[in-house]
Amino acid sequence: MIEVQGLTKRYGEVPAVDDLTFTVRAGEITGFLGPNGAGKSSTMRMILGLDAPTSGTATVNGRPMRAHPAPLRALGALLDAGAVLPSRSAYHHLLALAASNGLPRGRVDAVLEEVGLAAVARRAAGSYSLGMKQRLGIAAALLGDPPVLVLDEPLNGLDPEGIVWMRGLMRRMAGEGRAVLMSSHLMSEIELTVDHLVVIGRGRLIADTSMADFIAEHSAREVVVRSPHSESFGRRLADAGAAVRADGANRLTVAGLGAPEIGALAALNGVELHELALRQTSLEDAFMALTQDSVEYSADKEAA
Amino acid sequence: MTTTETRTRSRTPHIAHKEAVAGQREGRATFPDSLHAEYIKIRTMRSTLYVVLGTIAVGAAIATLVGSSAGDGFATMTTAEKATFDPLALSLRGYMLAQVTIALLGGMSITAEYGSRTVVSTLTAVPHRSRVLAAKAVVLAAVAFLTGLLFTFASFLAGQAALKSGGTPSLTLSDPSAWRAIVGGALFLTLAGLLGLATGTLIRSTTATVTTLFAAFLIVPAFGPAFPGALSDWTSRYWPSSAGGQIMTGYQDPALLHPWPGLAVMTGCVALVLTAAFLTFRKRDA
Repeated sequence: MIEVQGLTKRYGEVPAVDDLTFTVRAGEITGFLGPNGAGKSSTMRMILGLDAPTSGTATVNGRPMRAHPAPLRALGALLDAGAVLPSRSAYHHLLALAASNGLPRGRVDAVLEEVGLAAVARRAAGSYSLGMKQRLGIAAALLGDPPVLVLDEPLNGLDPEGIVWMRGLMRRMAGEGRAVLMSSHLMSEIELTVDHLVVIGRGRLIADTSMADFIAEHSAREVVVRSPHSESFGRRLADAGAAVRADGANRLTVAGLGAPEIGALAALNGVELHELALRQTSLEDAFMALTQDSVEYSADKEAA
Repeated sequence: MTTTETRTRSRTPHIAHKEAVAGQREGRATFPDSLHAEYIKIRTMRSTLYVVLGTIAVGAAIATLVGSSAGDGFATMTTAEKATFDPLALSLRGYMLAQVTIALLGGMSITAEYGSRTVVSTLTAVPHRSRVLAAKAVVLAAVAFLTGLLFTFASFLAGQAALKSGGTPSLTLSDPSAWRAIVGGALFLTLAGLLGLATGTLIRSTTATVTTLFAAFLIVPAFGPAFPGALSDWTSRYWPSSAGGQIMTGYQDPALLHPWPGLAVMTGCVALVLTAAFLTFRKRDA
């Protein structure tokens, strides 16, 4: 498991990561979500010991990365799939990493088999497609058979088949009792995958919740009602306990009452309806609303 | 978290088995492991083979050319010129090029990691920065020394053969100064490689490292004579690569350092820059 405690990283005056505290538990996939520039990569680099925090700590199974006798056995990471020497073969790329931790050569063959690159392992890694590089990055992460995986944007640039494969792999890894932390800037990418959600914006923690709770809380069901009598019918709905929002001419957005109840109420009162439609807010919308204030560069702001 | 680890281990019996065979290692990553990793990396870097073979081949070719042309000129030399005629230095003239190619190999062995960002996986696998850089230095020094030795040996033989056939004074391997220049020259080129590694570690960019090394090894010594008096004298006497190059001379110019003190100046300079590289590499965010 990964424990991040009061983690802060400042570049000059600007905090990239600001007093962040969260836990990535074993047996779960934790989604690490935030807009671009929110500090996800900085946080991951500090967990890995690549960057030194200004203050706070990040530990992997109770120790900082430096204190693990064989780091690849403690944590596997995919930070940047493009990070291969173009002329070096995938096999030798992995062989050098394995050697540095005293891992047997057989592990290299095993992980190449696992990610489906065994047949092309002797080719220069520079000739790989983005999807193949992503698989190579995963192979490197799995070399030490680690109980903790840190994956930065693992679904980036994958084709649909690759995405299915990557999701399946992460599921299996969590199912085997490993702690998996994966970052993304797209809610749609992870809502099908993760068990737990950590949302950050401008380096600060915005939400730390189970995915189930997040869905229950944010996937509000609303009903769109169109009627020539929208004003009076809106009052009636409000009396019945619904939250009603006038949404343009003759149009209401109703929360708190289901479509059947609204239809029944309309029939009872002889109100003419032109539209009665269920609308589900997507998690993407919920995420956008949550991080609205912390988006570093947004088109809206520039227009303002 | 012990439960998870136990589960993880028992799921992959082949690892547990190998560990048991390896005995008391208990999966601890060691300095020899890092040496092994760096050896695999330098072996699979394309430029390594080019540098090793190119340095040796070009060195022998330059020695042959310089040796032959010296033979043509020797007959018309004055007595004073003949007194300073240095067959040893002539045959090893190619070191001007070899010092740069080997320094570039040293620089590349780290800037390639920054350029391709593999430094991230290297340092994730081994967060002990000093261990990583020390392993790079040892492996590079070994490659540079062997390449340097083959270079000086091949250059000496080719150069002396060309001089001999041109009818000028020449040396054989039984000459004591010959082995000093051959082995000392290899040490000089090893130091050049380490200086490249240290410079690359400090600078990180391949292009900037290449430029810096060219300036240090070729441009400063070339423009040295054009500097104002005292500076010019200082440069030709103490500039590290010029001082170190004295190890490959036979004629002792009174204005210059003796061979071993010259090499000591170069060693001191490399030690300084390498120390700075270690301190920076330890502290800096990867």
